[in-house]
Amino acid sequence: MDAALIWEWVIKALFLIFFLLGGFAYLTWYERKALARIQVRYGPNRAGPYGLLQPIADAVKLIFKEELTPSMADKVIFILAPIVTVVPVMLMAATVPWGPPIQLFGRTINMSVADLNVGVLYITSIASIAVYGIVLAGWSSNNKYAILGGLRASAQMVSYELALGLAFVLPILLAGSMRLMDIVTKQAEMGWFVLIQPVGALIFLIATLAEIGRAPFDMPDAEQELSSSYHSEYSGMKFALFFMAEYEKMIVICAIAATLFFGGFLGPGVDKWPWLGPIYLLAKIIVLLFLMIWVRATFPRIRYDRLMALGWKVLLPTALGLVFVTALGILLAEAVNPAMLWIIPLLSLVAGVLAVGVIERALRRKEYARR
Amino acid sequence: MTTAAPHDVPHTVQAGTPDLAARFPGLVAPDERSGYSGWIVTADHLVQVATALRDEFGYDLLSSVTGVDYLPEGKMEVVYHAFKTTGGPGICFKVQTGRDDPQVPSLVSVYPGAELQEREAWDLLGIKFTGHPDLRRILMWEGFNGHPLRKDWQEPYYEDEAKPFKSRSPEGHVYRFEDRNPFGDNVRYPEDFDPEKWTPENPEDLLYKSLKTYQAESPDGIETDHIVVNMGPQHPSTHGVFRFVVALDGEKIVNLKPVMGYLHRNHEKIGERNTYLMNMPYTDRLDYLSPMSNNFAYALTVEKLMGITPPERAEYIRVIMAELTRIANHCMCIGSLLNDLGAFFTPMIYLLEERDLILDVFEATAGSRMMVNYFRFGGVARDIPEDALEKIKGLAFERLPRILDEMDRLMSENEILRARGIGQGVLTAEDAIRYSATGPLLRGSGVPYDIRRADPYSIYDRFEFDIPVGKNGDIYDRYIIRLEEMRQSVRIIQQALKQMPEGPVMVGKPQYQFRPPVGESYGRVEGPKGELGFYIVSNGKPTPWRYHVRAPSFINLTAFGPMCVGQKVADTVAILGSIDIVLGEVDR
Repeated sequence: MDAALIWEWVIKALFLIFFLLGGFAYLTWYERKALARIQVRYGPNRAGPYGLLQPIADAVKLIFKEELTPSMADKVIFILAPIVTVVPVMLMAATVPWGPPIQLFGRTINMSVADLNVGVLYITSIASIAVYGIVLAGWSSNNKYAILGGLRASAQMVSYELALGLAFVLPILLAGSMRLMDIVTKQAEMGWFVLIQPVGALIFLIATLAEIGRAPFDMPDAEQELSSSYHSEYSGMKFALFFMAEYEKMIVICAIAATLFFGGFLGPGVDKWPWLGPIYLLAKIIVLLFLMIWVRATFPRIRYDRLMALGWKVLLPTALGLVFVTALGILLAEAVNPAMLWIIPLLSLVAGVLAVGVIERALRRKEYARR
Repeated sequence: MTTAAPHDVPHTVQAGTPDLAARFPGLVAPDERSGYSGWIVTADHLVQVATALRDEFGYDLLSSVTGVDYLPEGKMEVVYHAFKTTGGPGICFKVQTGRDDPQVPSLVSVYPGAELQEREAWDLLGIKFTGHPDLRRILMWEGFNGHPLRKDWQEPYYEDEAKPFKSRSPEGHVYRFEDRNPFGDNVRYPEDFDPEKWTPENPEDLLYKSLKTYQAESPDGIETDHIVVNMGPQHPSTHGVFRFVVALDGEKIVNLKPVMGYLHRNHEKIGERNTYLMNMPYTDRLDYLSPMSNNFAYALTVEKLMGITPPERAEYIRVIMAELTRIANHCMCIGSLLNDLGAFFTPMIYLLEERDLILDVFEATAGSRMMVNYFRFGGVARDIPEDALEKIKGLAFERLPRILDEMDRLMSENEILRARGIGQGVLTAEDAIRYSATGPLLRGSGVPYDIRRADPYSIYDRFEFDIPVGKNGDIYDRYIIRLEEMRQSVRIIQQALKQMPEGPVMVGKPQYQFRPPVGESYGRVEGPKGELGFYIVSNGKPTPWRYHVRAPSFINLTAFGPMCVGQKVADTVAILGSIDIVLGEVDR
């Protein structure tokens, strides 16, 4: 391990952190603008051209805001909770490959901070740490709304982690590796995994929405019910950290989704011009982010017990079925004929249709069903 | 509208109402004071008479309960107005009691809808309702001295019994009392009262004690602790400074108590100091989302008292304005209901656009978007200008029908809305009537009771419209009904626009101060939120002797607790949103 390698890591890590911080700031702007356009409004348009300085104004406001700590709060945990929420998000981003390896100063440089051979496993394990922050925040605030929100958060994350984990299994099976770089290169030859496993990608997106607590699964911080629950006692920068965690999680999850199912940095011309890789990935992230914002602008919040029913009764069995379907397809492709790979999307769609039928049952109370 | 004032008619049993004196000889006597109607029941037999009214005569909806302090006669009177949900005129019965320790049996056992209203009468007038399950103050705080609506109660800066105050009129010299009183002097304490030594009864303790009245269930034999959560008064989904306290078993609600009065300003006391016309702008502030409707009810009540009828054109303008205000109110209600369900403002903002266009019409006509102050006794303040009329036509014939269909397509079939609405917050038809619910809350439960049809006022008998009713009485039904009611309002406006004649909009010349004849009058309209009634007692002076508002938001809240029990925390805000309250009206 030479000094240059350490420098490489430091520079890449700094790059990533600044990208996430800047991305967080401008994601808030992006979300507000997109929501505003959907709602026939202008959105932020006062600070700078097109309101582009709005995130900076918000940051200045949050930094100078008074930080209040409830007198009965558990002070250490109260301060620790936002940090525990933010840090895993940044860690998670480390494994995402941003492009094919490039040659610079005579060195081969990987376009990810850490190209772990157990990348997917690492992501699932780190992602679950973030929920500690929310639970601890809810508990340490000594507030009933907060504790309700924290408990909801823990239950929700635990139940959706299963479906999410199984959705992770699908690209692993298809690529035969847990390394994200391998998954991307495999998609170069097989085509994007979303085409091979469309329902798997859908389950992944739904489960991630629940995992990061975005609408319509924003149960933990249900503003209308629990007045923002777990962060209702936080103010100033501590509050901003929760906010930051949520938006950075959105970016990172979209990056991971793009990598696992949408071909990552792949796109026309990447082989020739490797610098196109990050641009393609960024474009895919922005499109996926727009989907999340669109969902938020469109749907009401699903109720807590229905959310659990959806997670346990629909998503988990479907994901299990998909894993079986995928494994079967791969086995047949190897043993009989490579064209048998087509059985995967077909069976997957069948499983998806079945799942929608079950959702219908899970969501609707039969005794009151009418019309 | 009646063309003759009640005091012109000698006391006979009104057609269609039962002769109570014949049914209960000796216990019930007709009210024979000049200008009054109804029956006077002896206090001891009130429950018996009320039960008979409900069970034998079919007066199942106890609409209004209020008290009147007749200081010169040394009497307190409790006035009840009951109606049939099948339609027709109502019946008014009264109980008289002494002023010193007024005690009247509670009617909560017969009509549970009387619960909050009896508490209000206790709070403001000091009438004790024996047998009431939870007789606490409701609008004032527990440490308040006295009962403010009593005629001998005087506020700290008491100057005169009625406006205009001599100190300010005719010179118009206005000063602040704080300036005139050196510090310390501007509060008067009763004799033998020392504020330093006085500790009030803790209202929170009383509240939590009354919350603990539920039966704890432990089907598996394991006792679980319940937690008490305060929702509000500072909460994003209570539509203002409303508060409710819930006892929770996990996320399931075992009991719920509404707490109100944070916005209380004693509207009724102000109303009794004001002259009749001065109250008109005050009514705008009750339910500030539907001011035209409030104006309408108040104007109707005073016109009944005075025995005047507005000209034809004014009647049509009134109906158009009242229906526009209904659409504006329902836009706001559906928008905020969807918001409470967690939709991020999109439906709200789409609907607010329509409301804004309606408020444009109000601004062009009345001069103000919300505080319209538009109706007058015997007409309306001014005619609709030509361009505003064009705007209304554009709205009624083109824009609104299209937009309402669009909203229906956008929202009604949404799976999450259906999942959260259907079967949640169910209020059965029987319960809705028992709890005196009115408006979309009652109709959502399947009772086709709309005052515009059941007991038509103004010119509503000339229009064709349907009364939408729900089946299950759940949140979704109330939502669908409001959407449908907007369509029916558009229909009414279309017909009214076609039929509207030319002519004056005001009978006689405008009067700023007048003295209605002695008597009482109860006028009611089908407001967007339910039955909005005004009960006014005149003693021939320029100010009303008693001015009571039967506020639909307030009384519909009686059913809020029972509807929520057994539901989840997340449903309470949705149920509250589906009741549609405005705190200006709840707290008055």
